[in-house]
Amino acid sequence: MVGVPFGLPLDGVRVLELGRYVSAPYCGRLLADYGADVIKIEPPGGGDEARRMGPFAGDDPHPEKSIPFLYLNTNKRGITLDVETVAGAGLLDRLLEYADVLVENYPPDARPSCLDPKALAERYPHLIVTSITPFGQTGPYRDFAATDIVTTAISGLMYHSGDSDQEPLRNALNQSFYVAGINAAVATSAALFQRMFTGQGQTIDVSTVECLASHLVQALPYYNYMGAIKGRRPVRGSGFEELMPARDGYVIPSVQGSQPWSTVAELIGVPELQDERFASGSGRIEFGEQIHDLLLQGLAQWDRKALHQASGERRLVFGMAQDAGDLHECPHLHEREFFRTVSHPVAGEADYPGMGPSLSGVEYKVRRHAPLLGQHNSEIYGAELGCSADELAQLRALGAI
Amino acid sequence: MTMPERTLPLEGIRVVDLSRVFAMPYCGAYLADLGAEVIKVDTHHNQFVDTTRTLNGPYPDNDPGELYWERGGTFQTLNHGKISVTLDLRSDEALEVLRELVSISDVVLENFTPRVMRRFGLDYPNLKSVRPDLIMVSNTGYGHSGPWTNFGAMATALEPTHGTGAFMGYLDVDADGRTSSGTVPNKIANSYTDFLASWTAQLAVLVSLIHRAKTGRGMWIDLAMYQVGASFLGEGILDYAFNGRRARRLGNRHESMSPHGCYPCQGNDQWAVIAVRDDADWRAFCDAIGTPGLASDPRFADPVTRHSNQDELDEIISGWTSSRTKYEVMTVLQNAGVPAGPVLDGRDMLGDPHFRDRGYFEAMDHHPKTGLGRREYLTRGWRMSGSDVRIRKPAPMLGEDNRHILSDLLGLTDSRIADLEAAEAIGQTLAGARIPASVPLDRQVELGWTVDYDTGYPSRPPE
Repeated sequence: MVGVPFGLPLDGVRVLELGRYVSAPYCGRLLADYGADVIKIEPPGGGDEARRMGPFAGDDPHPEKSIPFLYLNTNKRGITLDVETVAGAGLLDRLLEYADVLVENYPPDARPSCLDPKALAERYPHLIVTSITPFGQTGPYRDFAATDIVTTAISGLMYHSGDSDQEPLRNALNQSFYVAGINAAVATSAALFQRMFTGQGQTIDVSTVECLASHLVQALPYYNYMGAIKGRRPVRGSGFEELMPARDGYVIPSVQGSQPWSTVAELIGVPELQDERFASGSGRIEFGEQIHDLLLQGLAQWDRKALHQASGERRLVFGMAQDAGDLHECPHLHEREFFRTVSHPVAGEADYPGMGPSLSGVEYKVRRHAPLLGQHNSEIYGAELGCSADELAQLRALGAI
Repeated sequence: MTMPERTLPLEGIRVVDLSRVFAMPYCGAYLADLGAEVIKVDTHHNQFVDTTRTLNGPYPDNDPGELYWERGGTFQTLNHGKISVTLDLRSDEALEVLRELVSISDVVLENFTPRVMRRFGLDYPNLKSVRPDLIMVSNTGYGHSGPWTNFGAMATALEPTHGTGAFMGYLDVDADGRTSSGTVPNKIANSYTDFLASWTAQLAVLVSLIHRAKTGRGMWIDLAMYQVGASFLGEGILDYAFNGRRARRLGNRHESMSPHGCYPCQGNDQWAVIAVRDDADWRAFCDAIGTPGLASDPRFADPVTRHSNQDELDEIISGWTSSRTKYEVMTVLQNAGVPAGPVLDGRDMLGDPHFRDRGYFEAMDHHPKTGLGRREYLTRGWRMSGSDVRIRKPAPMLGEDNRHILSDLLGLTDSRIADLEAAEAIGQTLAGARIPASVPLDRQVELGWTVDYDTGYPSRPPE
């Protein structure tokens, strides 16, 4: 990778993150990865609730060892601040003078009054205020209680996940809040770009259910184009494009791509599959059961990774079910420098998954491990805001930090 | 200080969208909503056309019609807001026109394989020579480096490859009906990875525009969908790094909350989800369903006992939900402060009071030739107070803007345009295709592609 004389795209952008759990912290992390100076503001005492979310490093339930917290908060600085105290709100004001963005995900009915987006926008016209909630800042469900399974259900995505002969299935690892977090980062970046020309900030209302609903580019037109209700994947069928058992796990055989049926059949290795009647989509529907049986026979002779490799070499697009260990040890991801070794004073050292895309001339670095609770109080309140040691002691005594 | 009025973030930004299928076309549509001029580079030759024009449907009343390549609901959803030029890239003249177009554009989106882009001379180093500060997204399955770089990919097969199946799957059930952690992976499906790639590309383009405005420098974004997918499952991969744990498949259950699940409701394939976070939720839940005594039942009195007796608990809860509608379950429990919600299908979403109240759907009038009339589309998950972000127009008809783009934008002479036409490098009628077969809805129900259908839709005509 070449040198980085131009720095990172969001160098010089300061973000205050009042984020809890996943969505706002993930938004903050993405902005930090692109170079923003993200200051995570946690309530004194317990901090971000994600600190109590498992799993934990070494399965030790310690507030500095939550794995979701460690992953979601790299590249940030962290301070504690009780914004509900008078002294705390005063400090927040001083921080806001120098901030470009504030990201928060309080429930609208439990948000401290000093974080009201409209009031903040009036007071700080240059500020971008990004608020992430399960249902958005308006509408009849605004104040409903929600966890990931509830947002996934109401978004419509869950109805389409899983098998059609069983109940709809919750998605992996709080996906709804990750999707909300990256959508929030998209809208925030659009507002930052617009502000370069207008000097004006604005408020952004991110709804988790709507972010996920935007995935349904098939199910929604299915209804308003032809009145049909698309469901979960059918359990009958040829087995192509579905998870099927191989010798050491599951694979996804696929007929997609530009190769002829004979290439697919030859790879699977059962001679009876070389049948022209199976070569068309309609043929695979008509002879689904027969193909399914032959496919099971053939796949039972293959290991996942060998089949994936052989498929790629033939320009086919087979997939395989990989677990966390497969991914962590994946030679392809290592060659693409996806992982970064991060050393944390309490949790210890590990190779962390990094950024999705690679940008030319922009070197992705983990500049900081996830902050310890209040780790940067002295640096930010003292060195940067100019609070004296006496002032800091007083703020501590008042419970503001 | 006076600044120019600007109500759209991407006003004045021009995007050349060479992409196909789902992920990058959808990225282009969002950039159009944000105010960019997005030019879809189409072709009228069937073997190279964006397959969402021809293979995905769904068609109005399940009828592809003569102009089927303009009529697919999925195509319309993914390509709204764009204008279209047709250019057959096998023609040197068309390639030259494309290079001229790139020279007056800010962003290029593409998802060809590395091999194809090099063959056409459209790889970043080549395009950078015609537009030095170009921002370009190259979206592929596995990226432009690494041992799998030349492997093709589709989202549906990539999804388990980047690991979702390690963290979702039904519980295993033994002969006595007892449940345990699942051993079989499952899928989010619906081309999940395509959308992760689309959000990731949007963010990368926007920060690159900020970077360019400050430094004058362009950017090449090597977006590997496999790697993007893995980044969304980072906490699970990191659990392996710390603890050696490879997979967690809990069905609809949760590590710390119980009850936590998806329960059957009145009607065909109707479900509601419930998540009891703590003891306070549990007491509120028992009151709300009219069995306050359940709260003190020693089998369910605290999180630990509830967790170990979930099979019995789920049976009791299913008994309560199955005689109610999914919306009733939501109302009763949300009134008590307990997280719960209906599992919505496409029809439910279009009629849901919350989505409607927030104006989530936006209606578009289509060109009369398409016969699509006025229809509603899903939009985006965020509102900006200071930006007029919305769907500006329907997806373009094939080559609809050829004249505007070739003549007005690029200043091609009439004779050069006539040459392109004569060489079949541009055109507005799809060549070499047949009207796609449509499978009757009754047959689709039989095959399990659709659950059910209404003949009297849409129940709510768009305003």
